[in-house]
Amino acid sequence: MTVADVRVKRITLNVDPLEVRDLLERVPRACISFAGDEGPRVEPVTVLFKDDRYLVGMPSSAASHPTVDEEVVLLIDDGVQFFDLRAIYVRGHVQSLGGVKYLSSDFFWFEVQPTRTVAWDYARIREVDDES
Amino acid sequence: MMNPDDPAVVDILRRAMVARIATVSRNGRPHVNPLYFVCGRGKIYLGTTDRTLAALNVKANPRVTVLFNIESEPNDRRVLRLRGGAIVRTDARLCRWYVRSDLRKYIFSRRGFGNSLAHARLLPLVRRFVSSGEKGQECVLEVRPEEAALLTAPNRLGIKRTKKFSDPPYC
Repeated sequence: MTVADVRVKRITLNVDPLEVRDLLERVPRACISFAGDEGPRVEPVTVLFKDDRYLVGMPSSAASHPTVDEEVVLLIDDGVQFFDLRAIYVRGHVQSLGGVKYLSSDFFWFEVQPTRTVAWDYARIREVDDES
Repeated sequence: MMNPDDPAVVDILRRAMVARIATVSRNGRPHVNPLYFVCGRGKIYLGTTDRTLAALNVKANPRVTVLFNIESEPNDRRVLRLRGGAIVRTDARLCRWYVRSDLRKYIFSRRGFGNSLAHARLLPLVRRFVSSGEKGQECVLEVRPEEAALLTAPNRLGIKRTKKFSDPPYC
């Protein structure tokens, strides 16, 4: 056996986002974080996942909104008990949203254009080959 | 704005199970992630490891914002938002206290125990994952709340509806 044949294993909680897609269809709790002048800001939001687009609605009453092109992190998570914890974490940039008529006017709507999406599910903890 | 020791704030903190802590990096990049927490001595303690983005960000910028809601009552749409300063604590005494409190809250409860039992075959893997040090040394983010606000979580759909649903009563 050569050194190259030795496979290094690591333990992961991460899953393919498709495996937790139900979180996007029935959003349990969601929030969006962005940087403000006085530190991090975070607001509870509603999310619609439509045609592979993350449409995010923030209450119009929110103290501040992220601006177009600003970097944000959208977190949709579920579960309380350890092995029930699941989440989708989307890092991306804000894009303005126009012409979507079915959205409630009580919200400030925008789209998050993802640059990185990670999902995890604690009940899927497992050992995988380390490909890093 | 509310005082962090307002009874409504204390009530939500007592019943909430998962905190979502927002931080920013040295370069001003945002981050938010869910963590378990316990309260004590007027502070919030969140368990993590020192190589996570949350811990690295707190070291670079101590300002944090944390959201809480009462997960056991899905119709209660109140969301508590706390802002404050945080530090990363790695001292053994505090970490031991945190682990004991965390186990009491999350594992040695009826639901926690049942959940662990149902996934008993995964426990050795969790133990190896925690002790591997892959994500660094265990640490606690100690948050000193400075201001609190009660928000209302949006309804789940956000699509136009004809019937208006009223907000749940506030404390």
